[in-house]
Amino acid sequence: MAEASNASPEAGTPGGEDLLALWLGLLVFVLALTSAAGLDLVGWVVTTSVWTDPAKALAPVSKAYGFLGGVGAALATYAALLVALTLGAAWLKIEPGRFALRFTVVFLLAYLSWIAGSYANLAVSTPGDLQKFGIGWSLKLTSEGGYIVALLVGLVIANGFPGLAQWLQEAIRPELYIKVAIVILGGFIAITAAEKFSLASSLLLRGIAAIVEAYLIYWAVVYFVARKWFGFSREWAAPLASGISICGVSAAIATGGAIRARPAVPILVSSLVVIFAVVEVLILPFAAQAFLSHEPLVAGAWLGLSVKTDGAAVASGAIAESLILANAAAEGINYQKGWILGTTATVKVFIDVFIGVWAFLLAYIWTNYINVQASDKARTREIWERFPKFIIGYLLTFMIVLLMAWGATPEHVAKIKSAINQANVFRVIFFVLTFFSIGVLSNFRKLWQEGIGKLVAVYALSLFGFIIWVGLLISWIFFAGVKPPLAV
Amino acid sequence: MDQPDIGEQLKKIPVEPLLPIEKKLIGWSLGTGLVLLIALALLNRYLS
Repeated sequence: MAEASNASPEAGTPGGEDLLALWLGLLVFVLALTSAAGLDLVGWVVTTSVWTDPAKALAPVSKAYGFLGGVGAALATYAALLVALTLGAAWLKIEPGRFALRFTVVFLLAYLSWIAGSYANLAVSTPGDLQKFGIGWSLKLTSEGGYIVALLVGLVIANGFPGLAQWLQEAIRPELYIKVAIVILGGFIAITAAEKFSLASSLLLRGIAAIVEAYLIYWAVVYFVARKWFGFSREWAAPLASGISICGVSAAIATGGAIRARPAVPILVSSLVVIFAVVEVLILPFAAQAFLSHEPLVAGAWLGLSVKTDGAAVASGAIAESLILANAAAEGINYQKGWILGTTATVKVFIDVFIGVWAFLLAYIWTNYINVQASDKARTREIWERFPKFIIGYLLTFMIVLLMAWGATPEHVAKIKSAINQANVFRVIFFVLTFFSIGVLSNFRKLWQEGIGKLVAVYALSLFGFIIWVGLLISWIFFAGVKPPLAV
Repeated sequence: MDQPDIGEQLKKIPVEPLLPIEKKLIGWSLGTGLVLLIALALLNRYLS
């Protein structure tokens, strides 16, 4: 989490991005939900279809706003996001003018990447669609291959044009974007869960197992490896263990705060976490496609456990979903969208929920047993301070939609689903912004800094030698044989 | 944001042997984690 914190300016308001994400996500959710009551307040949001003719690529999501056309819908979407996010930036004490200018460039590059990813030769995944678009080949990335394009464009900027990457910094906020998306995702997962309760309950059980795995198994092993085998001090080993095991940057920073480490330590650990997360995004979804195509939910859970940082984990889930659904479609199996990604996000969200509790526990142990001379005691308030607030948004949207859909008539469920689909279009746009931002933050030269070898060695050994394999084993135990529902 | 040099910071790490409380933390975490995972796996099997 909080990738932005190591590369972009810190928000001036404490926990600012978290709260902003919570409110923005809820705003989108509530506005979209009104369409279930007959209002259509966000039907103008732009959506992209697979295309060969660029004139047909864009359209407003609701037919009621058809008069806008594709470009008009794109401009309306940009304007709405610009206003909302610039107000948010001002609240975060970022200079609004600078943010607005940079966000314009970020939105333009990110959304153009998304449109490029929907080009038929990249996206089409079934023989029927090859025929429909009159093309002979396709990379079969599905329309969500646009995420990969956005990530690659971001990587090119970070590593080829560092001056531009630096200039864009104020608007490069992957944590803000992904948290807004996750708040919206709660409603999307709920409407799917309401239709398939048994699968949803299996997801919840797996989420609890993920907490146990990340906090009790991964953390203990990584801490031991860092302390015993690599000789790291407690000040380094604890944030490192949290960064590698739990949820990347925010866990490292929360742990650093809890054990009263010098601020530089969690920040340095965080920069490594971000770089490794991108390496994982570039490798693991393709490994999942190659080896777990016939166990889609094992793949989703595995990525949620293995990829650190929320943005990169959910990004991996989205890429894996597009790749695995394309494989399945080529075999004539059409799974419902959202289950692989939903599994990844749920696992990640469950892990996030306990960061505050874990930070409190470590603070208690450190202040009472390790740094006993320290006068400051662990405060109960620490749990709340460290709690990622956007999780509340995720749980709220999840519960609201689940309660609305529970026992409702099929007609009413269809209306809710249509409303959630409008919110989901925003979720996709925030995902695209996240992918692009992660790419822009990923300057691989950091990995070659002098003296960083030992830190990289602990990370690489723990992640590739232990975490991804245990994650795979446990995901297999809980999800082997469980398939996403078929698309109707 | 300017970042401190990682190499410099790593060179300054002091040698600290594992304290009994750290061993206890590691041991209890692993033990509790394994027991809970086995219990959850059994519950998962029972429910499915």
